Amino acid sequence: MVIGDGGQLYTIEGFAAALIMIITAFLVVNATSVYTAGDTHINDMQLEALGSDALKMMDVASNRTDEKTPLQDIIENLDTANRTKFQTMFLNYTNASGSGPRHDIQFNASYTCRNVTVNINSTAPFAIIHSRNLTGSEHTVRATKWVIVDKAVCDSNVKQNRAVLVEVLLWRD
Amino acid sequence: MTNDSAVLSIDFLAGFTIFIIAFVWVISLIPGLLIGLQAHTIDYDAVAYRTGVILVEDPGEIAIIEQNIPVPWESFTNNNSVARFGLAVSKDTPNILSEEKVNQFFCTTVFYPIDYKNKTIFGNYHFNISFHDADRNVDRSIGDVLPEGYGYIRRLVKIKGASNATINAINYKNNDQNVTSHTFSILINTPRLYTDVTDPSYQIDPVKDQIMINITNLTSTKSNLTANVNLTNISVMSGNQYDFYGDDGFIPYPSSITLDFQNSSLPHNVTEDISIKFSPKLFQGLYYGIYDPALYQPIFVNLTFDLDGNSTFLNNTWSSPFDYNYDPANVTQPQLRDAVVEVAIW
Repeated sequence: MVIGDGGQLYTIEGFAAALIMIITAFLVVNATSVYTAGDTHINDMQLEALGSDALKMMDVASNRTDEKTPLQDIIENLDTANRTKFQTMFLNYTNASGSGPRHDIQFNASYTCRNVTVNINSTAPFAIIHSRNLTGSEHTVRATKWVIVDKAVCDSNVKQNRAVLVEVLLWRD
Repeated sequence: MTNDSAVLSIDFLAGFTIFIIAFVWVISLIPGLLIGLQAHTIDYDAVAYRTGVILVEDPGEIAIIEQNIPVPWESFTNNNSVARFGLAVSKDTPNILSEEKVNQFFCTTVFYPIDYKNKTIFGNYHFNISFHDADRNVDRSIGDVLPEGYGYIRRLVKIKGASNATINAINYKNNDQNVTSHTFSILINTPRLYTDVTDPSYQIDPVKDQIMINITNLTSTKSNLTANVNLTNISVMSGNQYDFYGDDGFIPYPSSITLDFQNSSLPHNVTEDISIKFSPKLFQGLYYGIYDPALYQPIFVNLTFDLDGNSTFLNNTWSSPFDYNYDPANVTQPQLRDAVVEVAIW
């Protein structure tokens, strides 16, 4: 039987102090997730550099006498064979063997250009090829390359030198 | 119980214990909080990226003490003459690498690990830099064996191959010249090579890239098949004249000329074919002191063959010299091959 009730106060204070500290710690731990995201930026940067390099290398002719770079040729004659050629070349470049980490990369490639007939600054994307469907859950990075093609693009009927933006979304599988 | 002072103490003890347990738990969380801020792998990746950019997008630079000599860094065999390694053909051609630079960069008899750290990584890290020539399936690397975790970057590049000319000797047989000494001249018209093609990726540049001349089918030019042939003199002229292994025996740059893939001396016995490789160092020596490439003069290379009996042979003395130019019929043009540069830092 307890006659005095003074002691109750101390226990409640202890609980209250503990609760405040735990809430504080919880808030602080949550806040640090902002810093750990820095690691993902590095992975994205590596992937983006690889994708940009691959597009750049596809837009370089091996010989001076080659009239078109492989990438120009693919965009100008976008048939099934050339779409497959794009996939083969791109995956060959990005997954090229090396001593580093494995590069199991998937991509989705398209190009955009300005619609000149209606003379508005709108672009229409044209799919080139994708190695796998985008489901929306992938963490993709974007690599782009401006390419000059001699082709009637974006509703234009005139075959002329036009700049198109080749855009590749790539992600690790 | 009438006195309750002891009960208070026990309750205080319980409350204080709970406080201490929570306090210790919170303190133990602090190291965990800092894990997110640990920056080692991030640093390594960033250093690897920076090194990759320097290597594939920069042509490199020579040290200030050498800047009175307008030659690229890869021509120096002294590591103090290099300020920064860079493998690009020029600063306008990122990702297009020079074969001469790549060869020199991976030459560990000239450069030491400390040079790579000071002149391309710019930090005291462990490293492994590797180069994979995809078309020729050749791998080269420098640095240490890779550990478990490291910062990494991979760059896709093209490597500019050397040009070469294969000359069928039968086209240069002169039936009127039934003598014991024959001369074959080659013209390397540097100013025209610079103006005909301005893109450094595809340019034939004797000052930066190796030049190779293969002469084949030599026996077919001989009227006297028993005559023994020696290549006795190679003379290179452009304002300055260099006679190699000639009477004066003047050799300005050792191993700047390679005969039949080895450093053989003259006279060099010739049978059916001969291959002559000119290192860019030779032409850099020829243009020594000329700071503006627009002032470079054409180069004439004369090959003198001596026979031990009268015979016809390879001889274009009475016609024009063989032109080393952009005509694919004359010269196999520089080609770009696929390659991969990988940098690992830890």
